[in-house]
Amino acid sequence: MPQLPEPLERLVQELSRLPGVGPKTAQRLAFHLLRADRQRAESLAQAIADVKARIGYCERCYNIAEGSLCAICSSPRRDASVICVVESALDVLAVERTAEFNGLYFVLHGVISPIDGIGPDQIHVPQLLERAREEGVEEVIVATDADIEGEATAVYLQRALAPLGIKVTRPAHGLPVGGDLEYADELTLARAMAGRRSF
Amino acid sequence: MLLRRLLLRNHRNYAHLDISMEPGVNVFLGANGQGKTNLLESVAMLALSASPRARREVELVGPVAAASRIEAEVESSGRRMELVIALNVEGERARRTIEVDGARRRAVDLPGHFRVTLFWPDDLGLIKAGPDQRRRFLNQLLVQVQPGYARALSGLRRILEQRNSLLKRIAAGEAAADQLDVWNAELVRVGTEVVDARASAVNELAPEAARCHAEIGSGERLEIQYLGPPEDMAAAVHNSLAEDLRRGSTSIGPHRDDLRVLLGGQDARGYGSQGQQRTAVVSLKLAEADLVARRTGERPVLLLDDVLSELDLERRGALLRHVGGGGQVVITSVDVGPFPPDLIANASIWNVEAGQIKACG
Ligand SMILES: Nc1ncnc2c1ncn2[C@@H]1O[C@H](COP(=O)(O)OP(=O)(O)OP(=O)(O)O)[C@@H](O)[C@H]1O
Ligand SMILES: [Mg+2]
Ligand SMILES: [Zn+2]
Repeated sequence: MPQLPEPLERLVQELSRLPGVGPKTAQRLAFHLLRADRQRAESLAQAIADVKARIGYCERCYNIAEGSLCAICSSPRRDASVICVVESALDVLAVERTAEFNGLYFVLHGVISPIDGIGPDQIHVPQLLERAREEGVEEVIVATDADIEGEATAVYLQRALAPLGIKVTRPAHGLPVGGDLEYADELTLARAMAGRRSF
Repeated sequence: MLLRRLLLRNHRNYAHLDISMEPGVNVFLGANGQGKTNLLESVAMLALSASPRARREVELVGPVAAASRIEAEVESSGRRMELVIALNVEGERARRTIEVDGARRRAVDLPGHFRVTLFWPDDLGLIKAGPDQRRRFLNQLLVQVQPGYARALSGLRRILEQRNSLLKRIAAGEAAADQLDVWNAELVRVGTEVVDARASAVNELAPEAARCHAEIGSGERLEIQYLGPPEDMAAAVHNSLAEDLRRGSTSIGPHRDDLRVLLGGQDARGYGSQGQQRTAVVSLKLAEADLVARRTGERPVLLLDDVLSELDLERRGALLRHVGGGGQVVITSVDVGPFPPDLIANASIWNVEAGQIKACG
C-alpha cells in the first residue's frame, strides 16, 4: 500500500483503535474528515477534548459526571436507601429509561473475570461495601448481565453484602438469559426491575 | 423432521451446491475424497451449530472466497423454516453468523430447530475411545432435545476457563483464595443442570439400547450407566481445593463425566470383542434416534456416513430395519454394494463427484 502523508496516517491509526472500527473503516472515516470543511472537523476535535476535560466519574457511584457528583447522586428526590449495581454507565441510562427505579446507582465498570485479571478490587467492590455500610443502605439490586461473569459477580456481591444485614435482590423476569442489559427493550427491563427477587 | 433443500456456497470442496432432498432414503454415492462426508458435515452443522469434526472453523471455508454459507429449508412438525450458517474469515479465525427465518440467533440457540442423528465411522470406536467421545455423544443428543442444555454446556466451559485461570493466579499469589467461592458456586449451579440432563438421558437410552443389542447380539445383555460427579458436588469441589490449586485445573465436574457400557455385566471396553463393541455402538445410536423421536414426537433425520460397509450383515440389517421405519435418511457410500436391492429401488440415488452432486434415477 502506498504510504499516506504522516498526519493522515496518524489519524487512520487513531481511528482504528476505536471499538468496532477496522483498518478499512478507519481509512474511510479519515478520508471523510479530510474532505469535510474545517469547521466540522474542528468541532469534532473540540467535542472530544471537552468530554475529556469536563466529564469524569462520580465520586460516589462512578457514573459519568460533570463535576464531583453525577446528576443522580446530587438529586434530592432520589431514595438513598436503595442502590442499583450495574456493569456500565450505559446500563444506568437503560434503567433510567424505564422510570421504574428511584434509588441510586453504583457502576462497576466491568465484571469479575479472572481470565482478564479482573477481581473484586478492580471493579470497586470495597468502595461499594463501604458505601453500603456508611450510608445505611437497605437494599442493593444487582443488575449485572445474566451471562456467566455477570452471575458470578452477582453471587460475589450477594455473599459480601448479606452479612451486613442488607437485602440483596436481582432483577428476575424477562431479562434475556445470557443477554446484555444494555440491549434489553424498555418494557422487558421495566418488568425485570419490578419483579426483582431475593437471592 | 425433513431437510427439503440444501444450499452450499464455498463449504469445503463445494463451490456451489443446490439440491432438493427427498423425504425418504437419500443415497449419496461417490469415490473417496469427492465430498460425501463434507455434505453430511454441513447438514449436521445445521443441527449442532458447529462442525462435529472440524477443530477450527476456518477449515470449513473453501478456496473460492473468504466466506462460506450453509443454507437450508427444513420442515419440523409441518412448519417450514430457513436456517443459515455463514462463516467469514477474519485473519486466523472465522466469524460465524446464524439465522433462523432471517433473524439472527446465537450459536447456542440454533440446536433444536432441526434435529439429526449422525453416525459415522469414528463412532464405531465410541466404546474403545476416551471418555470425551462418550460425553460428545451425550452432548450432541442433548443440545437437540433439551432446551437450555447448549447454553448450560457453553456456560460450563466458560466457568471452567475462569476457575482454572483463577486457580493459577491464586497459586502465583496474584489473587485471594476467597475469590474461588463464587466460581465453585457457579460450577455447581451450571454443572448440576448438565448432570441432571445427562443422567435422565442415559436412563431413557438404556432400555432401547438394551433391546436393540439383545436383538442383534442374540440375547446378550447391554447396560449403560452414567458416571457423573459425586452426588454432593459442592462438597466434592470444596474438598478438591488443594489438588486443584496444585494442578491449576478443576478436578470435579461434568467435564470429567463418562458413560460406562457393560456387556453381560462386564466392562465392554476391556472385555468386549470388536464385534460386540460394534453391536453396542449401533444399539446406542439407534437408541439415540429413538429418544429424539420420543421426546420431540418426530424422527430426527438419520445421517449415516459410510457405516454400512463397516458393519457385518446382521448389524447392517438392524440399522436398515430402522432406516426402513419411514423417517428421512441420508446415507453415503462408495458403492451400492452394502445396500439391499429393495432399499435401492425405493431410494433417491445421487452421485457425488468433485464437489458436484447429480441425481441418478
Ligand atoms: N476447506 C476446504 N476447501 C476445499 N477442499 C476441501 C476443504 N476441506 C476439505 N476439502 C476436500 O474435500 C474433499 C472431500 O472430502 P470428504 O471427506 O467429503 O470426502 P469423502 O467423499 O467423504 O471421501 P471418503 O470416501 O474418503 O470418506 C477432500 O479431498 C478434501 O481435500
Ligand atoms: Mg468420507
Ligand atoms: Zn453518582
